[in-house]
Amino acid sequence: MKAQQFQIEQKETNDSYILSLAGELDLSVVPQLRSALEPVMDRKDQKLVLNLRELSYIDSTGIGIIVSILKYRDGIDAPFSVTDIPPTIQRLFDLTGISGYLTEGTEQ
Amino acid sequence: MIRLQIPSHADYIDIVRVCLYGIASKLSFSYEDIEDMKVAVSEACTNAVLHGRPAEEGGSLIDVTFQPTEAGITIVVKNDGPPFAHQEITAIAPPLQGIEISELPVGGLGIYLMEALMDEVSVQSNDNSTEVILTKYISE
Repeated sequence: MKAQQFQIEQKETNDSYILSLAGELDLSVVPQLRSALEPVMDRKDQKLVLNLRELSYIDSTGIGIIVSILKYRDGIDAPFSVTDIPPTIQRLFDLTGISGYLTEGTEQ
Repeated sequence: MIRLQIPSHADYIDIVRVCLYGIASKLSFSYEDIEDMKVAVSEACTNAVLHGRPAEEGGSLIDVTFQPTEAGITIVVKNDGPPFAHQEITAIAPPLQGIEISELPVGGLGIYLMEALMDEVSVQSNDNSTEVILTKYISE
């Protein structure tokens, strides 16, 4: 098992602010993710995108953060989407039910 | 039986996953089952870190034991401290469903995932410690 260190790569395009996550997202990296999110949570002009292509692990802590982003962005009527979800992570999204909100709620 | 003791801190939960991966691979669990167990065991450790007795009160270690059996493995995660809220999950429905986005719960998913990903889950608490017992059977 490769224990790749958690990393966040940030990229801004014309209409989106993309955070690409890599490695393992668990309780130990919550402060790191929250501080990366903080300055962009209120950006209504930009679509907030979480790209999970390189994410190898997530648990309820990470899913909880995604739920809180969903709620916040929905509350201020700003777009948010999660892209490139690996199959093992998709399975957990399906089990918890969050996938329904990710596709129907905010994508487009 | 294999025992692992980690400081009650989030930085060590990945060590438990690495250890579990090694043991479960040796027992011929499938890739999917190992991934499931990694999440379930991490959830138990996360609860132990968040709800266990803080280091300054003398409760600074989490005990993880891996007990291979003929049918699979039982993993016990034990921490010092008062029990955390635990309700037996009777409904199979995913917790995040049929609710308005603004009403979605941010927490409480950990225990649900443990129940969903393991074959058996039980939580035993007394005034001083909490044990989460997770069992997974090797699927044929």
